[in-house]
Amino acid sequence: MTHLDRILSQVISLAKLPGNRRRNEVAKELRTHLDDLAEDARSQGYDDDTAARIVRMRFGDPEEVAAAFISVYKPERLARRILQSTILMTVSTVAVVVVIGTVQSIAAVCTASSMVPTLRDISREVFGFTAIASGYCSLYAGERLFPASLPRALLPSVSFGLLLAVVFGWLIPQHAGMPLAAFTSAASGRLLQRVEIPFLWFAGTALPLLIAWALFGPLIPGWEFPWLVWFGVTVSCKALREIVRLFERAFVEDCA
Amino acid sequence: MPLDRELLKGSIAVLILKLLSERDMYGYEIIQESLRRSDDAFEFKEGTLYPALHQLHKRGYLRSEWRTGESGKQRKYYSLTAVGRKAARRSEKEWFVFTKIVNAILSGANS
Repeated sequence: MTHLDRILSQVISLAKLPGNRRRNEVAKELRTHLDDLAEDARSQGYDDDTAARIVRMRFGDPEEVAAAFISVYKPERLARRILQSTILMTVSTVAVVVVIGTVQSIAAVCTASSMVPTLRDISREVFGFTAIASGYCSLYAGERLFPASLPRALLPSVSFGLLLAVVFGWLIPQHAGMPLAAFTSAASGRLLQRVEIPFLWFAGTALPLLIAWALFGPLIPGWEFPWLVWFGVTVSCKALREIVRLFERAFVEDCA
Repeated sequence: MPLDRELLKGSIAVLILKLLSERDMYGYEIIQESLRRSDDAFEFKEGTLYPALHQLHKRGYLRSEWRTGESGKQRKYYSLTAVGRKAARRSEKEWFVFTKIVNAILSGANS
């Protein structure tokens, strides 16, 4: 790597420019300038080392240049992140609807039971779909925001979970428990997906439901462990993991 | 005498708009022209020119396009938009008023 390459890569890596296209264009523009500076210095008779020092001196501190670019593109970067988060959340919710809908349909066929009660309660189901998607995505957001600290990475999930508890408690006070348990299941499923041991994350999706069942099961006569919900959340977490991978491939380089 | 960096930073947008109101230029050319006109006094860290150019571009004052120069090198040329022309006239006027005020204060004109 030449001296000019080092300056350039320092600026580009620190500048957090939104979009590959813009990053490449700024790199090309700065590269032309650095080449001109080096050529200018050499044409004045300086050797390569001195020319490199002159380039560095005239161009300025790469960190300072990058900081100036950061402030120029801050609003655009924020807008892109909001758009990308909305896309992720929408796609995730749709995926959860498809997965849970399929699981419930198969269960209805296998047990020769009717889907009518489920469809009648569809408005309540929507809270569950949103809870699963947001449980998973909020932990992913935490991982992205605080990659080096797990306690901090949990912060968005904890805050969003508390917010959902308030909203669900207000909107569906009698039925807030299950969507909140599903939220926690999805988040802890994502948490254990970080562990390399295969299938361990199945326990992540099960544990919050088990706790909910252990706490409230004795209070509600005839309430059995929600196997179907656990299965639905687990398959949803698998689908969401693939969606997050696709999202990272499409956007993460873009908002690095 | 080396000029204060903050002072140079504050005036960079005015200079860019003024120079581009005369003809289309690329970054390095803007620097060279500033140095030439100021007898090498207007010396600032050249890398910081580009964020300033991009800021003005984002505000809609500039447009840019890649052109191949006489040397065969591709360069990104900047030119003023209609809004940019108005901004150039306005910023030039503001600058003269500002410097007049500062000069008046510094010279103690009304004392």
